[in-house]
Amino acid sequence: MIQSETLEGHQDIFQDSVEDELELSAVRHRPEGLEQLEAQTRFSRKELQILYRGFKNECPSGVVNEETFKDIYSQFFPQGDASTYAHFLFNAFDTDHNGSVSFEDFVMGLSILLRGTIQEKLNWAFNLYDINKDGYITKEEMLDIMKAIYDMMGKCTYPVLKEETPRQHVEVFFQKMDKNKDGVVTIDEFIDCCQNDENIMRSMHLFENVL
Amino acid sequence: MAAGVAAWLPFARAAAIGWMPVASTPMPIPPQDKKKGKDGLIILNVSGTKFQTWRTTLERYPDTLLGSTERDFFFHEETNEYFFDRDPDIFRHILNFYRTGKLHYPRQECISAYDEELAFFGIIPEIIGDCCYEEYKDRRRENAERLQDDEEMDMSNDVTPVNLTHREFLWRAFENPHTSTLALVFYYVTGFFIAISVMANVVETVPCGTLPNRSKEVSCGDRYALAFFCLDTACVMIFTFEYLLRLIAAPSRYKFMKSVMSVIDVVAIMPYYIGLVMTDNDQVSGAFVTLRVFRVFRIFKFSRHSAGLRILGYTLKSCASELGFLLFSLTMAIIIFATVMFYAEKGSTASKFTSIPAAFWYTIVTMTTLGYGDMVPKTIVGKVFGSICSLSGVLVIALPVPVIVSNFSRIYHQSQRAEKRRAQRKTRLARIRAAKIRGTNAYMRYKQNGLLIDSLEEAAKEAGQALVGKAPHPPFESQHHHLLHCLEKTTNHEFVDEQTFQSNCMEISVMNKSGSRTSSLSSSPHGLSSCCSRRHRKKSSFSLPSTNNQELSTIQIRERPVANSRSSLNAKLDETVPLKCDEPYNTPSMVSLSAPAVTSSDGHGSTTTTAYSQSNIVRVSAL
Repeated sequence: MIQSETLEGHQDIFQDSVEDELELSAVRHRPEGLEQLEAQTRFSRKELQILYRGFKNECPSGVVNEETFKDIYSQFFPQGDASTYAHFLFNAFDTDHNGSVSFEDFVMGLSILLRGTIQEKLNWAFNLYDINKDGYITKEEMLDIMKAIYDMMGKCTYPVLKEETPRQHVEVFFQKMDKNKDGVVTIDEFIDCCQNDENIMRSMHLFENVL
Repeated sequence: MAAGVAAWLPFARAAAIGWMPVASTPMPIPPQDKKKGKDGLIILNVSGTKFQTWRTTLERYPDTLLGSTERDFFFHEETNEYFFDRDPDIFRHILNFYRTGKLHYPRQECISAYDEELAFFGIIPEIIGDCCYEEYKDRRRENAERLQDDEEMDMSNDVTPVNLTHREFLWRAFENPHTSTLALVFYYVTGFFIAISVMANVVETVPCGTLPNRSKEVSCGDRYALAFFCLDTACVMIFTFEYLLRLIAAPSRYKFMKSVMSVIDVVAIMPYYIGLVMTDNDQVSGAFVTLRVFRVFRIFKFSRHSAGLRILGYTLKSCASELGFLLFSLTMAIIIFATVMFYAEKGSTASKFTSIPAAFWYTIVTMTTLGYGDMVPKTIVGKVFGSICSLSGVLVIALPVPVIVSNFSRIYHQSQRAEKRRAQRKTRLARIRAAKIRGTNAYMRYKQNGLLIDSLEEAAKEAGQALVGKAPHPPFESQHHHLLHCLEKTTNHEFVDEQTFQSNCMEISVMNKSGSRTSSLSSSPHGLSSCCSRRHRKKSSFSLPSTNNQELSTIQIRERPVANSRSSLNAKLDETVPLKCDEPYNTPSMVSLSAPAVTSSDGHGSTTTTAYSQSNIVRVSAL
């Protein structure tokens, strides 16, 4: 019976589109294979397994969206408001700017931060500060970042936080970093300056044994 | 902390690299991982039922029994497993919590058994997922009532902020009468006067016997005109006073004036004033009499006093469509039947059905099954249609009424549940907040103990002494504290707990007020004391408005000694280390700014942290 067959065919198509819709709404993401990630990052197989299990437990769908990210990051800083800084962090991790951090983004970021060279780490930090990713850190961008960091401290601090403190800190930062005094910090100025600062150099090695 | 936070800690720490270029002071040393915990399977034997899970799954929630070192108490060497002498059925749910992050309440379990298990394993019930939380709480309350326990239901209202403006205070007193006794008194007084006023209106019209020089009966209102007038005046004065107070206190006067209650208030008192203004003119006094009808609206003022009345009003408002349908269908039916009856009765002699509008009255009376009998059909056709009319009347009216009734019931139950949920939410959030504060306090204690221990450990090693080992902090805690410490270093500010912060605020303001010894300070109390009042306003950004430069510089000067003492703590060790640690906990009212290594023995012991750290130092240095 040709009629029933065509009817069935139509039904199949209809069901497929419905399923597609469902799949889109569920947004399941499966990461690339273990070997590929091992090649692309500096983590060992075991470490990747541990990382993935943790990641998948928190985000069964395989991706983190910004809200979840902010929630998670805020758990570590109960006294203050970590959401602004988490927003900047999210943008730094979401390298392809698709609004969600997949396991690959996550692991690439961690690989740079934990196992990268000093150059790479400084690059990453510069990318974090450069909010609009135009290659320059302006005072406004730095002020936003600074305010976000100070927000995480919350209100019950000693000494008492004042409104000018972030701005002053930005001034100090710019005095140190902006060599040609043109009001912006470029990547070279930044890397140069950091490499000459002993404190910063030492602190870059701080979290190497995290995993 | 919930939500498997331990799994994300490595990420948060890695991301801290983002602070490094910004910080100008060196970072603290990270804690060493004493031993890398192998990620192995853990066997949990619960009364014979074996559960297995990864070690890291359990360690996701380090403040519970299974996630912390507390489980070592239950380790059974012979069988190399952890044995718990507890209920395996409930344990299944607890283990699921570790796996999924959501705690569910199994409906078939006894509520107190479940509570006990949660308490044993160190899990707070407040993190039960929304799917099961309401049920859990309902069962719990039922249980408490059944056992006639004196479980203290937290019925307290919001914590009253100390310094509301008078206006806000007044508004709160009006809206929630049970916040203060004065408000309660006012509430009851107004209720009483409403009742008096309504009764006076009613009694006014009762016939009160005849006056000697008249034959007609006069109403009480005319007989005791003066008494009633005085009573009316008193009531109206109270109502006017109340209305004006509400108007003044309302946060948005325009919105208040538009609200239904305020309209009712105005309508209730207007007739009196209009009556005062109007003269004894014959034409106008007729209108004045009708105005008195509006006085009955005072009875609606009771809706402020009765929630049920408000619910009824709200129901009618929400059932507007059903009521509208009822009205519309009735009107249709009335017109149809009135027309039919008119034409049917047209033939009969001396029929009362003189016109279709005249037949309306008959139709209404018949459809609502009242049947006064002042108009009856006489022809057979009329009687037939009359009976059809009354039958259909019953149907038309009976249909929308259950809808209205069910609406009312739904809204009523909803308001009950809303009250319940609001009360639950407050306690729930309060307890979660308390847990957070405990976490913060853990960090404070870590700062006081941990740093000292670390530095003194090294000092002891140098001196060749065996150190009485303090229990090593679980790795999650020490890493988390290190992260917080890095943030402090980046921003050159320290975390303090709320009490210290409050007392700091107070003492800054006190110091300002007393025009202290430091020359650069000028007494402008409002600038810094406002930092305390700001606590009550929910602002995340912190600012000192209108500080003058002198105060700013003074505080800046104090910042540096703190930073120096911290860095010196990390960099070098000497005898003065314990005392230097003490300096950050000095309240700012320690005016002698001379040197960082200020001896604090004469310091203000007003803050508990100072006392605590002092006593702690004494104990430790005795080693």
